Amino acid sequence: MSAIHSSQLAFFAAHAPFDRMETEHLSWMLERMKLGYYAQGEVILRPEQGVAECFLIIKQGMVQGETSIEDANAADTWLELAEGECFPLGALLAHRPVASVYRSAGDTFCYELPLADFHTLLDLSAPFRDFCTRRIANLLEHSKQIIQAQYAQSSGELQSLTSPLSALIKRMPVTCTPETTVREVLSRMHDARIGSMIAVDGIGRALGILTLPDVLERIALPQIDLEQPVIGVMTTHLTFLPPHALACEAALNMAKLGFRHVLVVENERLIGLVSEKDLFALQRTGLRQIGQAIRHAKTLAELQQTAADIRRMAHNMMAQGVAAEQLTQFISTFNDQLTARVIELEYLSCNQDMTEICWMALGSEGRVEQTLSTDQDNALIFAVPDGMTPDEVRAHMLPVARRINDALALCGFPLCRGKVMASNPEWCLSLAEWKQKFSDWIRNGTPQALLHASIFFDFRALHGAEHLACELRRWLSNVAGDNTRFLHQMAQNAMSIRPPLGVVRDFVLGREHKLDLKLNGITPFVDAARIFSLACCVSETGTLARLRASAAKLNIHPSEVEAWTSAFLFIQVLRMRHHDEAQGVSCGELDNLIDPESLHELDRRILKEAFRQARKLQARLALEYQL
Amino acid sequence: MKNWLSCWPGRCPKLTDEQRLRRDNWKALPRAALSMPLDGSRYVVVDVETSGLNLWEDRLISIGAVAVVNGKIDMSDSFYVVLRQASASSKENILVHGIGGSAQAAGMLPTEALLAFLEYLGKSPLVAFHVVFDETMIRRAMRTHLGCSFSHFWLDMAYIMPALHPAGRSHSLDDWIARFGIVNDARHNALADAQVTAQLFQVAQHIAGQKNITDFAGLRDLEKAQRWVSRVA
Repeated sequence: MSAIHSSQLAFFAAHAPFDRMETEHLSWMLERMKLGYYAQGEVILRPEQGVAECFLIIKQGMVQGETSIEDANAADTWLELAEGECFPLGALLAHRPVASVYRSAGDTFCYELPLADFHTLLDLSAPFRDFCTRRIANLLEHSKQIIQAQYAQSSGELQSLTSPLSALIKRMPVTCTPETTVREVLSRMHDARIGSMIAVDGIGRALGILTLPDVLERIALPQIDLEQPVIGVMTTHLTFLPPHALACEAALNMAKLGFRHVLVVENERLIGLVSEKDLFALQRTGLRQIGQAIRHAKTLAELQQTAADIRRMAHNMMAQGVAAEQLTQFISTFNDQLTARVIELEYLSCNQDMTEICWMALGSEGRVEQTLSTDQDNALIFAVPDGMTPDEVRAHMLPVARRINDALALCGFPLCRGKVMASNPEWCLSLAEWKQKFSDWIRNGTPQALLHASIFFDFRALHGAEHLACELRRWLSNVAGDNTRFLHQMAQNAMSIRPPLGVVRDFVLGREHKLDLKLNGITPFVDAARIFSLACCVSETGTLARLRASAAKLNIHPSEVEAWTSAFLFIQVLRMRHHDEAQGVSCGELDNLIDPESLHELDRRILKEAFRQARKLQARLALEYQL
Repeated sequence: MKNWLSCWPGRCPKLTDEQRLRRDNWKALPRAALSMPLDGSRYVVVDVETSGLNLWEDRLISIGAVAVVNGKIDMSDSFYVVLRQASASSKENILVHGIGGSAQAAGMLPTEALLAFLEYLGKSPLVAFHVVFDETMIRRAMRTHLGCSFSHFWLDMAYIMPALHPAGRSHSLDDWIARFGIVNDARHNALADAQVTAQLFQVAQHIAGQKNITDFAGLRDLEKAQRWVSRVA
């Protein structure tokens, strides 16, 4: 006999993936579960128990996972699982013992499902299976869908993204046979002025696609034989959507897989092609238009207008679920173009020769990670012409730089409070002076020097004589990479900012019960990536690019880097969403403080997971520098 | 007054042969052993909803129960029933437990409901919070509808918790569950209340284990001692 009160089901309806499972499957699961109690400190699972035999869902309380290394002390807790979370998925799926000790951190009650029932449930319920096999990816995806749904409600202009793909197909796509030669395909693409060619078989099934970027990468650069069949250079791993799929699904697909095209297929046969351009054309402000507007702007007023367009575009793209990495890159790219145009206009007005001067972006702008609330962080580097002193060049450049800083402020990039700007004589230096400055910082290692290093070592040429910045970067890589004492100091400094996760309770909140997403969320990743990149002589400035490039040299497993990057990107998305929402409300300054209570339950969980990843990254840093 | 008369001893309810057989089968089951260990046994945690708080006049409306087997609540081993009422309880009362007039009228016939409860229960010891209330209501219903005297082992969490935990005595169920962070989303639903009481019982079993109390007799002695303490204190 079994009676289950509906409030038990309500508990499951509040937590992923159970909220997506069918009630019938939930009841099936619930009837087979037992509820166990674990007092504070009691061990729930440990590796010595052998192959994991139970799937557990936390009904109430908190569970910590500790690595089974002997010296694992309380501060090294890797995992904190809260209400609604389940474990140990990996061990159950792989039929192996758990890798960590799971210990109750408080009065904890867990629902427990026997192993055999767990596997039956995997077969029964697709959402459950999805969740278990792609846990983190799935959480992110789910969260993205919720974000999209929220935006779709708030902005009317996005209605078009809910139209079916069949409404967007303009004409039959141009096709060829797989045996057609590369040469012929290229000439047909050129004649018809099309960006892609699809190979189909006799009954119209798509076999492969060739796009313009592929032409460069796979044909022009490797200089392959043009008489070979085109199918050999095509992308044959294709994604299809049915004609009734929605435009936003296609956008999500493109953002996720990085494709520019989605093939529309009905009864296995190709009936249309939807490109990124088709989707973005649905919006008022297309990406191309913004780019053109910037390039052709003649006055500051026009640029101010496009600055507003960039912000609106960011809002729209967020609504379409464009991934954070691309989104920040878009924002940075346009901000770069805008800044460059501001500089050009200023140089034109005062007949400045720009051949031996380079405008550098620093901080987040240097890392290509700008969000909507980015202060100006910039500097100038110049070559000293024969017969002049650096001071003379500086005296000439400072007023120009001042006007550029002011113009940028008018376009919505607030002046830097710390005066890290090109108009500050301290940061308007010749190449030799910069080298001198950097070596002083590396030698001294004072807190001030470390702080400066954290801003300035992310420099990147934005406009003008790029070779000066490149030379500085080459020089810095050699000098800093060899100086282990300095890297050690940087690492020590980076470790002073801890992700806001408590040992026992979930988030550790600052004043006003808020989390600082920038200081405690983003900074640990950024700092660690900077140190790794300096140590490995990686010249990239972006945090993700730095992590990816350094990982190989440091023997860090790609899956670990992947987890770090998804965590970093998720925090970025939250920040941007926070800014985006705040902008709708007031024109005041944007902050990075959020109240975790205001987040969707799922986001709160992913955010915790993201902070855990930050902790792991710091632990890796500590290991590398024996802190 | 009519209700009161109907439970007068001697007025034997009419049972079918089959019902009588089921009742007697239950009676014939062996009693639970006092020596049965805490972590190798089945306890049934019970809660009832009634038409009011008067032990002699009010009627039993629903029974909710969950089993704690070997220290774990077995989600498949639970029980809930609404007993059919000739007339609905008062509006104030309905607002307490939420079982409306039509639900009361649509309930299971009391004889059948109580037999089902006995068969679910077996001879596992019963656990409740403030046993005197649940026990009296169930015992009266058993006598009225099954014509049997229901004498059974009970454990009272209202005495066991203060004996085990330094927080002390005279705490309500709500106080105790709040202390251990246990959430009850449906207070005054017999099944949901039984469930949180069962969770409290799990906590009690854990603490008892730490105090080297390992069997049912140990918990009973503890309860007796605490009753004595509360009388003299």
